[in-house]
Amino acid sequence: MANSILEVKGIKLAFGGVQAIDDCSFHIEEGTITALIGPNGAGKSTMVNVISGTYRPDEGQVMFDGKDVTRMPNYVRAQHGLLRTFQISREFANMTVLENLLVVRQGQAGESLFGALFRAKRWQAQTKELVAEANEILNTFGLYRLRNEYAGNLSGGQKRLVELSRAVMAKPRLLLLDEPMAGVTPALIERLGNHIVELNRELGVTFVLVEHNLEVVEKICSRVVVMALGKQLADGTLAELRSNQAVIDAYLGGGSRERVGS
Amino acid sequence: MSLILGYVATLLVTFFTYNIFVIGLNIQFGYTGILNFTVITFMAFGAYFYAVFVMPHADNASQVFYILGLHWPWPLAMLAGIVASGALGYLIGLIALKRLRSDYLAIVTLATGTLVYGLFGNNNKLFDGWSGLFNVNQPFQSVATNHPNEFSWIFVIFSGLIMLVVWLFANRLYASPLGRSMRAIREDQDVVDSFGKNSFKIRMLAMVIGSVIVGIGGVLTIQYIGALSPAGWTTGETFVVWAALLVGGRANNLGAILGSLLVAVIFNEATRYIPQVPSHPNLIPNLRNVIIGSLVILSIWFRPQGVLPEKKASFLEVPLVDKYAQGFPGEEPDSALSPAGSEA
Ligand SMILES: Nc1ncnc2c1ncn2[C@@H]1O[C@H](COP(=O)(O)OP(=O)(O)OP(=O)(O)O)[C@@H](O)[C@H]1O
Ligand SMILES: [Mg+2]
Repeated sequence: MANSILEVKGIKLAFGGVQAIDDCSFHIEEGTITALIGPNGAGKSTMVNVISGTYRPDEGQVMFDGKDVTRMPNYVRAQHGLLRTFQISREFANMTVLENLLVVRQGQAGESLFGALFRAKRWQAQTKELVAEANEILNTFGLYRLRNEYAGNLSGGQKRLVELSRAVMAKPRLLLLDEPMAGVTPALIERLGNHIVELNRELGVTFVLVEHNLEVVEKICSRVVVMALGKQLADGTLAELRSNQAVIDAYLGGGSRERVGS
Repeated sequence: MSLILGYVATLLVTFFTYNIFVIGLNIQFGYTGILNFTVITFMAFGAYFYAVFVMPHADNASQVFYILGLHWPWPLAMLAGIVASGALGYLIGLIALKRLRSDYLAIVTLATGTLVYGLFGNNNKLFDGWSGLFNVNQPFQSVATNHPNEFSWIFVIFSGLIMLVVWLFANRLYASPLGRSMRAIREDQDVVDSFGKNSFKIRMLAMVIGSVIVGIGGVLTIQYIGALSPAGWTTGETFVVWAALLVGGRANNLGAILGSLLVAVIFNEATRYIPQVPSHPNLIPNLRNVIIGSLVILSIWFRPQGVLPEKKASFLEVPLVDKYAQGFPGEEPDSALSPAGSEA
């Protein structure tokens, strides 16, 4: 197998009586866009939380870039380039769009107390460069004219764009996107899809995309991992999975999310 | 004439020290979203520890008891008081910031405040119990004893300079990347973590910085008056600091200053000088709380962000050519933020 940047092995995690993830394993190859699909409650968001380090699994291992990161706090994983977005937009509401981006860049001179107080010249110069860089990113995402607006005042779709551009500002190596297209107009879905493909091609960012919209998956993802009832059910291209009986039973054939999820 | 001058000096010192308290709380709550409901305990820590470091050994014959009594020079004792206050902040942070969300932290601070109050009051070996400490050595001592009025004005300058340093510090912190991370934590702590910042560490830093600043105000308070007893740092005093911040405007240091002028000086201090009604000795203090309480309610009702709300950040930048100046297909038509130009 090619160079896998992420590997989860035998993950188990229970919330009280609910076995949200039940012995799930899969791997993600570097430089790809992979979809993580499955019916509601399959454990996809929980898996994103385990990979990013928000939750600690009861059992199993998370390997990122060849290193075991299972016991690593989430912020340290993020420092290594393993980043995620949330299923619902979580912008910094009372900060401007531009500030939302400025916050997330790591390694700024004024992030320590000493630096903040005594290296003002340096962080001021750095901030100026970061503002220019953030403006470029915002311009690509069509948010440039909203840069000085409070993020909390934006529409749902615009907040989605803020989430993605903020993640880009953080220079991810692997980006986990939890339903980035949820509640977004069809036109914007198309744009978000294009952005993801561009980021993948131009910056080499690896993507794992939790997504219910199979059209999107078909268009931008080279590989699909299917989860159901906390387990990895199958993986392959969408075309391969379309003829997989287990997948059809659990997800694809059912069509309605409600029926399958219940 | 000299009476009025002394009074004005006292008001100014009060104003300056309250500015310091409110800026300290602003860094904790306004910047970082930390609910510290026992601000005044940190003031007491600063004041008491300054006192026991600067005063000579307790003289048992006088029936005044306190710990230490090291008779250090006042600048060193001042440092000790500030460190003590910061250490208390660190301790509370260790208990409450690691795992607990902000609402639990609020409860932990309240509990700590009550605990410390009871402990310091009931135990007369620590800081002389309910009667408190007096004859605390002051800076510029010989002036203070011989020329009380001159001392007041020297102290106005002294406390004013310290306030200025605190003010400059707080504003630089606000504008810095560290301050920006603090405000992001106020908005959503988990997201800050998931972008590679140790939010626990940053919240701890804000907690300790705020405690240190409030401690500085506490040292100044006891240096000016030369005495402090538990009656001077009741829960009501914490309420005054909070009221000043909420009315003035959180996350805006100018708002903090305006708030402490309005609440701490004009409403709080000035009402102390209204003549007492002999038949109702508690009328004035109660009235004062009612007035400050109403002020908070009115301000939350009409100006929820305070009189001077947080300023929107703006940056020097080279303008770009907007790629989407004509609007984009994905734009929600009902968006309140649609640019005027693309509508036409
Ligand atoms: N914090 C939690 N506490 C208790 N149970 C939880 C928690 N998070 C998830 N669960 C449960 O774990 C299971 C998996 O949930 P998860 O959110 O991971 O599903 P999902 O695949 O993301 O679903 P969806 O497509 O609806 O987002 C569900 O049964 C859910 O109720
Ligand atoms: Mg989910």
